[in-house]
Formats: sequence, C-alpha cells, structure tokens
Amino acid sequence: MQITRRAVTTGMMALGAGAIAAPAASAADDQAKLYEAAKKEAKVTWYSGYLDQPMVDAVGRAFTAKYPGISMAGTKTTSQVAFQRLMQDLNAGSVQADVFSSTDAAHMSDLIAKDKLVKYTPPNAAGLVPSIRDFNGGGYYRPGWVGLVTLLYNSKQVSAADSPKDWPDLTDPKWKNKISFGSPNYSGLVGVWTVGMAEKYGWGFFEKLNKLNPLVGRSIDDAVAVLNSGERSVAICSAATALRSAAKGNPLVVNYPTSFSLADLSPAAIIKGSPSPNAAKLLIDFMAGPEYSKILTDNYEQPLRTDVPPPKGAKSLADLTLFQPTLENIEKELPGLRDKWRDLFNG
Amino acid sequence: MSATPASPSRQPFVVQRRRLQPATVVFGLATLVLVFLIAAPVIRLLVSSFQATGTGGFTLHNYAVAWGRERNVAAVGNSLLYALEVTILSAVFAVPIAWGISRTNMPCKGLIRALIIGAFITPSYLGAIGWILLGGPNAGWLNKMWMALTGSSAGFMNIYSFSGLVLVTALYAFPYIFVFTAAALDLVSSEMEEAASILGAGWLRTIRRITLPLVLPAIIGGAIIVFLDTVALFGTPAIIALPSRIPVMTLVLWQFFETPIRAEAAAAYAIPLIVITLAMFSMQRLVLGRKGYVALTGKGGTRTFTPLGGYRWLVLGYALFVVGLAVILPYAALAQAAFSQAWGLGLSWANLTLDNFAAVLFEANSRNTIIRTFGYSAAAACAAVVLALVIAYIVTRRMVRDRGILTLLCMAPLVIPGIVLGVAFYATYAPPPIALYGTAAILIIGYTTRFLPVAYVNAAAGVRSLNPEMEDAVRILGGGRLRALAQVVVPLLKTNLVGSWLLVFIPAARELSTALFLVSGQTRVISVMMLDLSENGSFETLAALGFVLLAATIAIVLLGYKLVGRDFMLRRS
Repeated sequence: MQITRRAVTTGMMALGAGAIAAPAASAADDQAKLYEAAKKEAKVTWYSGYLDQPMVDAVGRAFTAKYPGISMAGTKTTSQVAFQRLMQDLNAGSVQADVFSSTDAAHMSDLIAKDKLVKYTPPNAAGLVPSIRDFNGGGYYRPGWVGLVTLLYNSKQVSAADSPKDWPDLTDPKWKNKISFGSPNYSGLVGVWTVGMAEKYGWGFFEKLNKLNPLVGRSIDDAVAVLNSGERSVAICSAATALRSAAKGNPLVVNYPTSFSLADLSPAAIIKGSPSPNAAKLLIDFMAGPEYSKILTDNYEQPLRTDVPPPKGAKSLADLTLFQPTLENIEKELPGLRDKWRDLFNG
Repeated sequence: MSATPASPSRQPFVVQRRRLQPATVVFGLATLVLVFLIAAPVIRLLVSSFQATGTGGFTLHNYAVAWGRERNVAAVGNSLLYALEVTILSAVFAVPIAWGISRTNMPCKGLIRALIIGAFITPSYLGAIGWILLGGPNAGWLNKMWMALTGSSAGFMNIYSFSGLVLVTALYAFPYIFVFTAAALDLVSSEMEEAASILGAGWLRTIRRITLPLVLPAIIGGAIIVFLDTVALFGTPAIIALPSRIPVMTLVLWQFFETPIRAEAAAAYAIPLIVITLAMFSMQRLVLGRKGYVALTGKGGTRTFTPLGGYRWLVLGYALFVVGLAVILPYAALAQAAFSQAWGLGLSWANLTLDNFAAVLFEANSRNTIIRTFGYSAAAACAAVVLALVIAYIVTRRMVRDRGILTLLCMAPLVIPGIVLGVAFYATYAPPPIALYGTAAILIIGYTTRFLPVAYVNAAAGVRSLNPEMEDAVRILGGGRLRALAQVVVPLLKTNLVGSWLLVFIPAARELSTALFLVSGQTRVISVMMLDLSENGSFETLAALGFVLLAATIAIVLLGYKLVGRDFMLRRS
C-alpha cells in the first residue's frame, strides 16, 4: 500500500462524515459513561509485542493518572510469544488479555477470521497522523506503534558523503564485508522489509547483497551492537533503536532512504469476551491520544499523532515517504520469500 | 492432565518393607510431584505433536512438516556434532582444573572456583558479544593485536565459524563438568592413591588408573548434561551460528513460531530429542557397566592434597588460561561498554561513566527485577535439590521397579528446547484450575522442572559413591530410611548438594526461552530484561548488568562454600 494523497483524502472524508453523525458533546458523554463502567472493572490487562517493559509500565502509570481507579497490568514479550499465549488462553476458554498488540498484523487477520476481536473506533483516532489513520482492519484495530526500517551507518568509519542514501546503494561493491542485517525468519520487521524490497527491486536485490558477504543476524536490532562494535559499518535498522543509541553519543547516523522508508504499522485490538471490555476501550483510545505518543517520543519512537513532535534527530511521519506492503501481499509472499532466504543465506 | 498422576496403574511403587513407613509416604509424594511437574507438560507436548493446528484433530502432518525437509534433518546433524565437540572441549577445560582444585596443592583455589562459577552466570548473549569483540574478523581486539604484532593483513581467528561457535559455547558450559567432577573428587579417599604410589606408580599413572576411573560417573554425568544443554541452546547459536550460516536445530525450531505459527510442528520436531536422552543413558550404562564406584565406605578415609612441586604453577597456569578465556578477556572487552556513555566511541576519559551501573542498581524497576530473579532461582534450586536427592536415592537404591521411567522423566526437560517447553508449561499451568499465570509460582515450577535433570544427575553420582552399608547401619540400629537420608546421606554429600544447588540456581537465573512464556509485567526476570535492553539498543546498560551478575554470583559462591564449612575429609596437617 503506497500511502497516497488520495487514500489520505478518502480517510479524512470518512472521518468528516463520522464527525457530523456524532456531535462532540455526546462523544464526551459517551467517554464519561465508558469511564464509569470501566471503573467498576478496575483493571485492564494488555499483552504487548512491542515497546519494552519499562515503556509498557510508563503507559500503565499515565493511563491510571488519566483514569484514576483503573490499573493496567501490561506484559511485554515478543509478538510471537504474546500471540501464542493469547491463542492458548482462548483455546482454554480463559481470556486474560483485554488488549493485544503485535508487530505482526497477520495475527490480527487470524483473530478477525476467528471472530475474536471487538470493533471499536476510539474518538482520539481523529488526531492520528493521516497516513496511518486508515490502518484499522475495518474497525477492528488501531496502530499502536510504527516500526520504521531505514539505513544506518557508523560515522567513524563512513563519511556522510559516502554513506548509502537509498536502498539500491547497498549493492555497491564497496560495501563488501561491511553490511549487516537481520533475518525474516526471526524478525517480523525484517520480514516486512524483505517483502518490500522484493516487491520494489526483485529478488535479484538480495542476490546482489549476498555477493557482498553480509553479516546476517537474527533481530533487526542486532545492527546497533554490530555497528558500535566496529565489526560492520553499514546496516538495515529500526530507526528508533538506532536513534536511542545515537542519542547517547554513539557514532550512528540514520539515513532515511530517498525513495521511501519502510513502515511496519503495528496494530492493537480488543479481545472479545475479555474481563474488562470497557476499560479495554479506554486503553485503545488512550493509545491513540497525545499522552501515549508523548511516551513514545520520550523513548525515541515515532509519535502516532500530528500534535506530538517527533524525537530529536528523527523526522515526523508526515514528512516521510512511507511504503508498507499490503497485508495481503505480506501474507502471500512472505512464506515463499523466507524459503528463498534460507536457500540463499542458509539461515 | 490431572488424570495422569492419579492413575493407579502408573504407580511404580513397591517398597521393600510391608509396613507403611514415613519414608514410603515421602518417596511416594516425591514421585507424584515428579509426575505433576514433568509428565504433565511432556505428555501434553507429545499429544500436541499429533494434533492439527486449530482443530485439534489427530494428524501426522506435523511430523511431515518438521521432518519432511532435508534442511531440518541436516540441522539436527549439525546440532549433534556441535554438542559433541562442545562436550569434549568442556571436559578438556574442566577435568584438569577440578583435579587441581580438589586433589592438589595448587594455589589460588578459591579465586579460580569463583571465576568458573562466574563464567557460568554469564548470559550466552553477553558471552557471545564479548567474544565477537575479541575474535571478530574485522574489529576483534585479539585479531587487531595479532595484526599489529605480526604485521599480517588478516587476523588469526574468526569467531563466526564452527570452531568459534564450539569455543564460545564450551567456555560457558564447562562449569557443569567442573562442578560435577570436583564434587566427586572431593569424596575420593587418598588411601587408594597412596597405595598406588607405594606400589611405585607416579602421579600421572595414579590419576589414570585410580582417580579418574573412580570419578568417571561424575564426568560422564556432567558430559551428558553439557551435551543435552548444548543441543537445546538457542542464545549462542543465534548470535554466532546464524551469521556463520550454520543451521542448527534450535534455530530451525524458532522459525516455527513465526507467522503462521506452527507450535504443533515445533513439538513434533522436539519430541524425538527425547530419544537422544535415551541414547545418552544407554551409552552411560555401557561405559559404566556393572563396575562399582563406591568411594565412601564409612570405614574412615581421608584426603590429602598431592604435592605437585613446581608443577602446581603449571596447573594454576592452565586454570588461569581457561578462566582467562571464559571471564577475564571477554569481560575486559565488555568493560568498554559497561563504563562508557557511548561504547561506539571507544575508550576515552570523556566517555567514562558509572551511570550504567547506577541504572542497573539504583533504578527501582531494574533492582527489583534482579532481586526477584535471584529469589525465584534460589527457590527453584532448593526445590530441585530436594526432589533430585529423593528420586536419585529411590533409583540408586533400587527401591522401585520401572526406575528407567523415573530416570527418563527426570532427564527429559533438559533436552527439549526452552521455547517448546515454555509453550507446554504455559498450556499446563496457566489455565484454570491451576491458574498460576502471573504468579511467582509458575516461574519457580518452570525453573525447577527445566533444571531438575542437572540436580538429578549430580545427586545420582553422589549417592552412587556412598556405600549402602552406612545406611544399613542406621536401619539396623532402628532408624528409618528418612533418618538415614537426613543424617548420613545429606551430611556426606554436603558439597555435592551445594554443587547441585548452584547448578540449578545459575542456569535458572539466566534462563530466557522458558521464562518468556511464563513472566508477566509484575514477575519480570533478568533474562527478559536483557532481551528488552538488547532490543532497544542499550548495550551499555546490558554490559553493566553482566558485571553486576558476575559480582553477585562470585559473592554467593564464596559465601556458599563458607557456610558449608570445612571439608570433613580433609586431613589436618
């Protein structure tokens, strides 16, 4: 899905229509009623596949500060583990999580197909960055995190002038023995990147990369350690992780590729039949609100809203050309690409 | 699952005496606990390997998915070769040092022992990164030093290779064999060695013909643990094998958890590993045969240190070489990160800071995580040691039929990779009626189960070295089995049990794959915190955490051995 001006306009029109149907006063009324009902539930549980535990805890504190009387129990694991746990809870008939979030949107498709999600449009969604506002699976989920895949280099070893500016620059023979990236077989973010690259540049892109003897690790975040150690000098990275390390003074520079940055919109949704359905709605609304985006930027993540400025050194989503392969395309292409990857990189 | 432990036909209990003794009750309970802890999740795993994803109907498809690809089969071959080489190298590292510490007048024993246990706590992720900093082909310190010294254009080692993988793994696995062997050597009386010496054997011949054969069960026990642990290891292969393009089994296994998740196929891939465990034990039986390994007879017996003269410096040199590779060098490399504001900038005064240590020690969230982890691991270690001793006693003293099944049950959890076992634990313990999710208990039970094999093998080697006549003496004098266990076996095996405790405590404190499924936000443990830190690029804090773990462990070990007190067999000179 190339995020085009037209898609954005359509989204804005849809929102405009929504606003006419539900006047602001009654929306505030609904929120107050929701809060009253949620207070009786007193607690909301969130299985998260993104952020880290301290950030999840910070979200919990901010949520309780905004909605006194409701506590949040959030657990961060990897998306695969969170999903596996959720499925086992569902199979055992004891739903624990009210809200589930994952870096892998396919998890949501699976849950929608099984009729396990609750449709809900939070009022705060109107303030989301237009390019991610439509990402809602027909009303079943909302973006809770945006992973940006970009280029990264070690500025002690590579000059700005020499650094790769766009994806195809990586295949330059001068990067032999210098590149590092993760594997789509272990990282959802690298998976989306693989589908994106194959779609734009064909499989030949990876064959050219392989000739340069790249260091292929597991997670996309390994790049930061590999570059800081000096073992490699150019990498594919998750922008937030690299910016966080660069902010400490490490010699890392993020290059947003000139043609496009790869976006992985990561959804959050309400689980059907969960113990606290009202508090869950409040939490989903909170995740679309400014307090949540502020916590993201405090930790060098991309804010989801237009009214929260991006962290130091980062560009805002509105100023970037984003590209995300469609969910259909990811589901269709990724398994085959993973197989080809195993044959090419033996990992 | 609750049906299994209750089923009377599975009761393998035949007690030698007809009268119901307290011992019978205790041993019966221990067996039940074992079934609950291990059989329930393992059977669930076995069943799920035959279930279709989603529908739950019977199928063999999972086995076809898991084993139908040549690549997946080849990965198991790689894993077995990898584990074999790691086991051999670990024994080469461990046995001479264990002998030096236990039986000779080698200097600096306490320090070496503490550093070896320090190597053991090092999380595989950190050890692997430490070694990439040392042996990386482009920027490794050792390679750079080599190039500077010899003027050659390339380094002398590449950590991204099969031998690099084996070296790094063995450096953090050899403490298993060390603790086993040292504990066994501590129980061997010097009289037999002295007899050999009187008959004209030199110390080398004495070692070969007397000392080593006596502790063979312990060495083999430790080797089996290293082998199984390496087969199931994920951390080091993820950092080193993957970039070296060496597919091993655990790497294949993790791929089953990428969308579309095929946990059932993962179970089908892991279940046959239990056969490897069986094979290990048949081999053990073959090697040990029907020979006797009784070292403690109850008829006196003391131990003196063999004076090595100048050779004791050689033994110390070897020990320092090994702990140098395992601890001193990699931690020196990691220190650059732990004491830096930004480790990518390299060493400089301006870059120096203690903030990373402050973040680990004084930030409430992280401090609580450390305390909590040590608490859970200590609880699991206590539970595993007690359970393992009781079961080892039942099995070694042949008190029940079907001992093979008990042994297999005790050993199975180690070889099943953590991620698969984590799924089974969660499925068994999280839903009602047990409903332990979110509690400390689920982690403690998980750790106890996962590392019971280690405690069991060590305890079995210990009990085997005791002459049953000592316990018979208690019983002739009117004491029961329990009294014999508490007042004869436990005091005699004191150091062995401390060893067992450490061998559960430490791996539990660093265990990641099982913990991932069992933690909640309120029960977060160090390994999960480390994963967060590595994922968000905070390597400086991660390295500082490594140092804190190392220091805490060394302190615990020194304190532990002090509490155990003086070695009762050591001859006063």
